[in-house]
Amino acid sequence: MSDQPRRSMTRRSFFDSLSGSIYGTALAYLLGEDLLAGEPSHRRRVYDLKPRQAHQEPKARSIIHLFMNGGPSQMDLFDPKEELTKRHGEPYFDKIAGEVEFINSAGALMKSPYKFQRHGESGIWVSEVMPHLAKQVDDIAVIRSMHTTTFAHEHALYKIQSGHMMSAYPSLGSWSTYGLGSENQNLPAYVVLDDPKGLPTNGVENWQAGFLPPVYQGTRFRSEGSPILDLEAGVEKPPRVVDLQRDLLARLDDIHRSGRPGQPILDARISNYELAARMQLAASAALDLSQESAETLEMYGINDKKTESYGRRCLIARRLVESGVRFVQLYISSQIWDSHGQLATSLRDACDFTDKPVAALLKDLKQRGLFDSTLLVWGGEFGRLPIAQTSEDTPNPTRDGRDHNKNAMVTWFAGAGVKGGTLYGATDELGFAAVEDKVSVHDWHATILHLLGLDHDRLVFERLGLKEKLTSVFDAHVIDGILV
Amino acid sequence: MYPQSPFPRIVQVAVICTATMFAVWLRASPGRSERRQVTQHEVIPLLLLRCAGCHGRQHQDGGLDLRSKASMLKGGKSGPALVPGEPEKSLILKRILSEDMPPRRRLIEATVKPMQAGEIELLSAWIEAGAPEVEAASEWAELESPINDEDRQYWAFQPPGLFPVPQVQHADRVRNPIDAFILVKLEEKGSTLSPEANRRTLIRRAAFDLTGLPPELEDVDAFLSDSRPEAYERMINTLLSSRRYGERWGGYWLDRAGYADTEGEREQDILRPHAYRYRDYVIRAFNADKPYDRFLLEQLAGDELADYENADEITPEIYDNLVATGFLRMVPDPTWFNVTGFVPNRLDVVADVIDVLGSAVMGLTVKCARCHEHMFDPISQRDYYSLAAIFKGAYDEHDWLKPNSLNPLENNTGRYSYRYLSHVPAEELEEWTARDSKLAAEIAAVKEALDDQVALLKQKIFEDRLTELPEVLRSDVRGAVETEANERNEIQQYLSEKFEKTLFPTDEQLRESDEDFKQAAEETDRRIESLGKKRRPKPMVRALWDRGEPSPTYLLRRGNYLTPGHLVGPETLSVLTSGEPIEFKPPWPGAKQTGRRLALAKWLVQADHPLTARVMANTLWKHHFRHGIVKSLDNFGRIGTLPTHPELLDWMAREFIRRDWSVKAMHRLIMNSSTYRQMSTVTPAHERLDPENDLLSRFPLKRMEAEVLWDTLLLISGQLDETPFGAADGVNVRPDGLVTAVGTESGWRRSIYVEHNRKQNMTILESFDLPRPTPNCLERKLSTVAPQALHLLNNQTIHELATSFAERVIREVGDHPAKQIDQGYQIALGRLPTPEEKQLVMESLDKLKQQWAEDETASGVKALADVCHVLINAAEFMYID
Repeated sequence: MSDQPRRSMTRRSFFDSLSGSIYGTALAYLLGEDLLAGEPSHRRRVYDLKPRQAHQEPKARSIIHLFMNGGPSQMDLFDPKEELTKRHGEPYFDKIAGEVEFINSAGALMKSPYKFQRHGESGIWVSEVMPHLAKQVDDIAVIRSMHTTTFAHEHALYKIQSGHMMSAYPSLGSWSTYGLGSENQNLPAYVVLDDPKGLPTNGVENWQAGFLPPVYQGTRFRSEGSPILDLEAGVEKPPRVVDLQRDLLARLDDIHRSGRPGQPILDARISNYELAARMQLAASAALDLSQESAETLEMYGINDKKTESYGRRCLIARRLVESGVRFVQLYISSQIWDSHGQLATSLRDACDFTDKPVAALLKDLKQRGLFDSTLLVWGGEFGRLPIAQTSEDTPNPTRDGRDHNKNAMVTWFAGAGVKGGTLYGATDELGFAAVEDKVSVHDWHATILHLLGLDHDRLVFERLGLKEKLTSVFDAHVIDGILV
Repeated sequence: MYPQSPFPRIVQVAVICTATMFAVWLRASPGRSERRQVTQHEVIPLLLLRCAGCHGRQHQDGGLDLRSKASMLKGGKSGPALVPGEPEKSLILKRILSEDMPPRRRLIEATVKPMQAGEIELLSAWIEAGAPEVEAASEWAELESPINDEDRQYWAFQPPGLFPVPQVQHADRVRNPIDAFILVKLEEKGSTLSPEANRRTLIRRAAFDLTGLPPELEDVDAFLSDSRPEAYERMINTLLSSRRYGERWGGYWLDRAGYADTEGEREQDILRPHAYRYRDYVIRAFNADKPYDRFLLEQLAGDELADYENADEITPEIYDNLVATGFLRMVPDPTWFNVTGFVPNRLDVVADVIDVLGSAVMGLTVKCARCHEHMFDPISQRDYYSLAAIFKGAYDEHDWLKPNSLNPLENNTGRYSYRYLSHVPAEELEEWTARDSKLAAEIAAVKEALDDQVALLKQKIFEDRLTELPEVLRSDVRGAVETEANERNEIQQYLSEKFEKTLFPTDEQLRESDEDFKQAAEETDRRIESLGKKRRPKPMVRALWDRGEPSPTYLLRRGNYLTPGHLVGPETLSVLTSGEPIEFKPPWPGAKQTGRRLALAKWLVQADHPLTARVMANTLWKHHFRHGIVKSLDNFGRIGTLPTHPELLDWMAREFIRRDWSVKAMHRLIMNSSTYRQMSTVTPAHERLDPENDLLSRFPLKRMEAEVLWDTLLLISGQLDETPFGAADGVNVRPDGLVTAVGTESGWRRSIYVEHNRKQNMTILESFDLPRPTPNCLERKLSTVAPQALHLLNNQTIHELATSFAERVIREVGDHPAKQIDQGYQIALGRLPTPEEKQLVMESLDKLKQQWAEDETASGVKALADVCHVLINAAEFMYID
C-alpha cells in the first residue's frame, strides 16, 4: 500500500472522506464523554445540538434577544408619568431610602426631559427619542410592569440571564438550546453578537451554560473580522500546505484509531475536526453582507456612522435566524442605558445608536416572512428611579440622571405568537414600582420558553438528585395577555 | 414598603425544594408560629441585622452597643437604650420610629436596611413584656436533632470496614491487595486483568499522572534500559520526587478548594494579591508529602494550632498554619463592595465555604440543608446551622471582615477591617521593605526633579505675566502672593485671590505652553508609572482567624435571613456523631479563640471518621483511573453513586490512615498494582463483559486536562519556564476575545502559576474545560467541541510553538529528515514511528518542503514545523494510553 503514490487530497475531499466513514457514528459521542459520570439517572445519553421535539407546538422557531444592558429608563421611553412632571423637585428619598444605591446623590423627583406621543392604531405611548420604533409600535407588545430583585448590575444581570442572582447558573439561551437543539449543525446553536468594542458587564458569564454541558453555552460571534476565534489560520500558509497537513493528520489518526477499536472518545475527537471545518465555511458565509441589497443596508443604518455598529449586528442576527440558528443575543459594550447623569442627552444617544436598526430588523423580518417564526425580545436588567441622581437641590435632567431601580422596568416582545400593539401592566403614579399585572423575571423566562414551545416546568436537568429548571422553585406564569 | 434588597441566594438553594419539603420543614421548626412570650432570641437577631453595622462588635457609634440586653440597658452617650416594660420611653424604639435610625443617608455605608413594620412590633412587644430573657442553654436544647441511629446505618456513615483480601484465581497477577479486590469482581464475570502495557506506555502514563507532563527523554531511556529488578518502582519514585508532582497534584487540590486569584461576582473582578501564598503552600505540601490529616488541620484551623499572636518569631510552621487557612477564603466574594456587602451576601459567602468543606472534605451535599432538611440524606437544617456556628468565630455576618479593597497597595483604615494578617517571615518583610522603600525613593526623586522644573517655569511665567499688570500693582501683588497664605493681610488676601490663578499657570497649562516641558513631564509620568508597577503590596497573609466573640447563631427558617428561628450551638453533623458530643473549648489556656474549628478538624481526622479517608482515597483513585470507586466524587450520600468496589474503598481508606495519611504512599500502592499497569486496549470480550470499564478490565484511555495540554505544548517546544511560586502571571485579553498568559523572559510558566480569575482565563484552558470555581470543582466535565480543533489548528501561538518544537528537533538531531521524524515522535508521542508512519511522514515532509521551496521567504524549518504541528494535533498526542 505504501508503494502506491498517495492520491493528494483537497481539504474538502478530506472531510468528505471522513463523513462517509465510520467517524460519522462517532458524532453521536461528541460531548457525551464523561458528562454522565455521577448522573446515572439522567435520561439523555448524549448532549448534542440535534433538533429536539418541543413540549408543545412552538410559535417561534428562533429568538433574537436585543439585550439593552445598563437598565433603560422606563419613564423616559415607554411609561410617561404626568404626576412626575407635576411633582418635579419634590423630595422623595426618605420614602425609598432602602432602594437607592447612590444615597449621597439621591435627589428629588425629576420629570422626564422628553416629549411623549401616542402612536399607531394601538395608541401606545413612545418617547420622542425612538421615532423609528414608534412607527412599528403596532407590532410590539410593551410590558411596563416588569420588576426584578436587585439594583446591582452584576446580580441583576445574573438574574435576568439565569433566574438566579449569582453566577454559575445556565442562561436562558443555554436552556433554550438544551431544550431544542438547533436546525443548523454547522453553526453554533446559541450565538452571541457582542460589541466589537468590548464585552458587556459580567462578560462571558452572561451566556454561560452553568451546570449544563458546555455545548449549550453561547458562542461569541464577532460582527467584524473573523467571527469566531481561530476560525482562520493565525499564520499565512499556502493552501496546499494546509491540505498536506490535514491529509497527514487524517492518515496518522486513522492508523492510530485502527489499533484502538472500542474507544468512542477517540472517534469523537477525530470527527470534531470535521465539524470545525464545516463551521469555518458556514460562519464566514453568515457574516458576508455583500449579498444584501443597498436598500437593506440603508434600512439598517449601516451607511451611517451612528447606527453602523448596531445595524450590522441586527442584520447579521437576521441572517443567522434565516440559517436556522436557534438563539441570537445582541449586546452593547458600554452600558449606554445606564443613565446616571445627563439624562436629556445620554438616553437620546443610546436611542440614536439602536432605534433605527431595531426598527429595521422588525420591518425586515416582516417583509421576509420571518416574523411568524421569530421571537424578538427587547429589554435590560432593571429600570430606573423617579428621583434624580444629583447632589443639587433642584434636579435638572440636562445635568442629572437616574439611579437603578429593581421595582419597575420595561421590556417588549414582538413576532411569533405575540399580539402586536399590546400594552401590558402598569406602574404606580410615579413609575417607581410595578403595581398592576406584575411580571417577574421568572414570568418573563416562562413566556419566552413558552413561545419556543417549551414548558418551563418540564424543561429540567437532573443534578445531585434535583430537577433543576430555569424558573427553579419560583412562581412563574406565562404572560397570556401578550400572546395571540 | 421595603422589599429587602439585595437578597441574593436565600431562595436560590431552595432549587432543591418541592412542596413536600416544606412540609418536612414545618414539622421540624416548631415554636414561632404559636405566639408565645417574645424573648431576647427573637429580638437579638433583629438588632444584629438592623443595628450591628454601627452598634456591634466593630463599631459602637455614640458609645452604644446593641448586641445584648445588658449593653442596651447600659446604653450610650444619650443614655440607656432600653427601659424594660416601657416601649414609649425606650430610646431605641423612639429613634427607630422617628426614622432617625438607622440613618437613611448612611444605609449603604453601614450596609444595613431599615427595620420593617413587623420587626418594630416584635421589638416593642419584647420591651413591653419587660425585655424577658431565657437562658441560652435551655432554648438550644429545645430543638432536638431529627437524626437517629437508623439514619447512621447507611454505608457511608459507618466507619470503613475491615475486609479480608479476597482469594483469586489469577493470583499471579496480584502485586498488592488492590489487584485482588479488582480481580475478584472481574473473575465473577469470567474476565480478568488485561496484559501489562509496555514500558514506554507505562512511563508516559505515569509521568502524565504524577507530573502533568510527558517524561523527559533521558528518563525514558533510563527506564527502558534498566534491567535490574524493581525498575518500575524506581521510575515511580523518581517521578514522585520531581518538583513537578506538587504542581500537578496541588492543582487537583486547588480545584477542590476553588482557588482563585480574584474575588468574582462583580464586574470589577478585583485581584486577591495575596492568594498565591495559599497556592504555593498547597504545592509545597504535596511535594513534602505532608500527612493528609495535618494538611486538613492546618487548612481548617491553622489559626488555632499555635499562638501566632504571641510568638517570638514567625516560624515557617506558624506561617504555614496561617496561609493554609486560605482554604476557607477562596470562595467568590462580592462583599468588598458596599452594595453587595449586606448580611444576605455575607451568608452566601459562608454557604459557599460550607459547600467547599462539605463537598471537598466530606463528600456530602451539606449545603442542601441551608433552607430545609436535606431531601435525601440525614442532614438537618439544625446540622447546617450548627456547622455555621463552628465558623462564627471567624465568619460572622454581623462582624464582617471585608475580603479586599480596590487598592491593595494602600493601607486600609476606613470603616471596615480586612482579612489580612501581617504574620509573614521576618526576612520576607525586610526584603520587601528594602525593595519598596527603594522604589518609593526613586519615584519621589523623579517627582522632585520635575517639581523643581515646574517651580522654575512657573516663576518665569509669573514674572512675564506680572509685567503685563499695571505698574502700580506689581510690587503689591508680588508681595501678596509671596506671603504665606495664612500670614496675608486683608488686602493681600484680596490680591492673591484675584491674581494668583491668572499669574501662575496650572500644570496642565504648563504642558500646553511648553513643548519641551510637556515631553519631560510625560516622560516623568511614564517613569513613575513603570516604577509604580514594580511595587508589590506589602506581604500579608489572606487568612481566616477566630476573633473569639462569635455572635449567636440562629437557624434561618427557609434559609431566609429575615426569619431567624431557634438558637443553635456549634456541633458536628449528627449523623456522623454518635456517643459523646465533641467538646468545643479554647485551644490553649487563655486563648481568645473559641477553638471550634480546631475541634471540627480534629473530629474530621479521627481514624474512625466514616468519610475523610474514604473521600480522599476515592479522589486519588479517580485521578489515576478516570473514575472514582464512588463516581460521584462530591456526593457519598444516598443519591450519590454506590461504590463499584466497596471493600476496596474501605481497604484503601484504612490503608491510608495506617500509612500515616501519606498521599505518596497511596500513589505507590496504586501505581505499583497490576491493575494500574494494564494495557488500555479494548477487546470484544471487554465490550461484552465490562462495557463501561466499571470493573477495570483495562486501563482507561485518558484525555489530557487543559493545563496538561498547555504545559506539555510549552515543554516539548522548549518554552516552559519552570520558575516556581510567587505572584501569579497575569493574562492578556485581546480585543477579539483571545486570552493568553503573560510570558516571562524564557517562555511561559506552568498554568498553575497563571492568574486564576473568575472572568477571562486563557482561551486554550477554557476551550479544554477549565472549570469556573463556583465555588469549587471536584470533577471536570470534559467536552469535545469545535473550538478545540480550531484552536489547535489555527491559533497563532500554537503555530509558533510548533515552530519552536521543530527548531528544537533540528538543534538536537540536525538536518537528517529520518532522524528528525524519529526525534519529533519521541518528543511528542514518547515513541518511535512505525515504518508505515515513518514513510507517510517522510513523504509529507518532502512535499511540504517542495511547497515551501516555491515560496521565496521560506526557511528550512517551515516544513518540519508543519509536521510538528500535525503531531500536536494528532489524537495520540492528547489521549494517553
